[in-house]
Amino acid sequence: MRGRYFDNAATSWPKPSAVQREMGRYLRRIGGNPGRSGHFRSVEAGKTILRTRTAIAEFFGACDPERMVFTKNATEALNTVIKGILKAGDHAVCTSMEHNSVMRPLSELREKGVSFDVVEANAAGIIDPAALLCALRPDTKLIVVTHASNVTGAINDIEKVVRGARERGVCVLVDAAQSAGVVPIDVEKTGIDFLAFSGHKGLLGPQGTGALYIGNGLLLSPLITGGTGSLSDREIQPEFFPDRYESGTPNTVGIAGLYRGVCHIRDLGLDKVLEHDGRLLEILLNELSTEKRVKCYGPLKRGKQTGVLSLNIEGLSPSEVGGILDAEYGIQSRIGLHCAPRAHRTIGTFPDGTVRLSWGVFTKERDALFTARAIRRICHRGE
Amino acid sequence: MRRRKKTGDATGLDGIVTFFSSHHALHAEEVLKKTGLRTALVPGPREISPNCGVALRFQWEEKKRVESLFAENRIQYERVIFLPVA
Repeated sequence: MRGRYFDNAATSWPKPSAVQREMGRYLRRIGGNPGRSGHFRSVEAGKTILRTRTAIAEFFGACDPERMVFTKNATEALNTVIKGILKAGDHAVCTSMEHNSVMRPLSELREKGVSFDVVEANAAGIIDPAALLCALRPDTKLIVVTHASNVTGAINDIEKVVRGARERGVCVLVDAAQSAGVVPIDVEKTGIDFLAFSGHKGLLGPQGTGALYIGNGLLLSPLITGGTGSLSDREIQPEFFPDRYESGTPNTVGIAGLYRGVCHIRDLGLDKVLEHDGRLLEILLNELSTEKRVKCYGPLKRGKQTGVLSLNIEGLSPSEVGGILDAEYGIQSRIGLHCAPRAHRTIGTFPDGTVRLSWGVFTKERDALFTARAIRRICHRGE
Repeated sequence: MRRRKKTGDATGLDGIVTFFSSHHALHAEEVLKKTGLRTALVPGPREISPNCGVALRFQWEEKKRVESLFAENRIQYERVIFLPVA
């Protein structure tokens, strides 16, 4: 038995079979380097990428597919914006729920004269948009806000943040690593300046895929420069999209697979995804509600969080619980700080962290029930 | 062995558009094809442009329509020139 996978917030598994087939098909039938030549394999590789780019742009309401640039993951997308926009003397604002993929680049820039303030979320991990906007200063260039916490799953009100930031002329970078493919996002309607997300989580693509949406009229310094197959007579990086941000041979086989992942989620519908995630959350919460030793963190309400539940069992460390779940029940969870130490301080679980259960579109109700009962049994061991 | 497809049939297509990025070229091809215009992706002629590897052929008499379609779809291109197929 391969067990029950409850680590979808790290990467989704399994992937739709169409994703696997598409990647195989690409390797067998196409396999060229996109945008580098005019021959059949190169052109078909380019078309493969264009198809995914267009599908993702449509999925997130971006009119201009070229402003959707591929990265290897959400971390690279977040780094591109943070390091591409903030210069010495600039100020940024972020929240206490940010992942280290935001906190580390910001801390790195502090050495180079960039300052930033961290706005505290509440104990469930929810951010008050008004408090975030209060932290803005005349020299604030960027707000970085997580759409959904990777620790508690709490979904934030991005619309309010963006509206307030627009009035003050500040750009907003939304970290949608946990929300892409789960919570509806429309970049044009909402007016999001930068949207960073991974392709291998909610969008069901393979690892090594991610993307960054860069809003109209915005130009950043690229994180990486190099060959793009364009302006090859010049030794300076092109300014046009998407080449400016896509140097070097891309992960075309991964991007080919990502197309099928996005199609799967699009055809399923995000309302179904959220409903499914909420139903599993309720099953877990109902089963665990009578267990006095279990403490759950987060909004704990369907519709208010993604398919994530962080919990602890009184008297046991997260690593002990995670170890038993894996060894005795075949349940794969993620324990510890989830690369977000500050978020754990906010919810009061630093430095031990929590046991994080995270499910996805392929997780069954019976898996949730089995997992909840396993946790109850762990609570009553030795009685 | 499976026969390799040619990039496109450019017979009679006497106009050519060059692009900065292959993304733009492929996007442009898709847009023109959707509207039913005859078009073909061809290897970019080096004597005209040092840019991306592909260019797009079309019928010169459709030049105005092609240009307006590019504007409508916000497709960047480098040059549109008359260049009968050799």
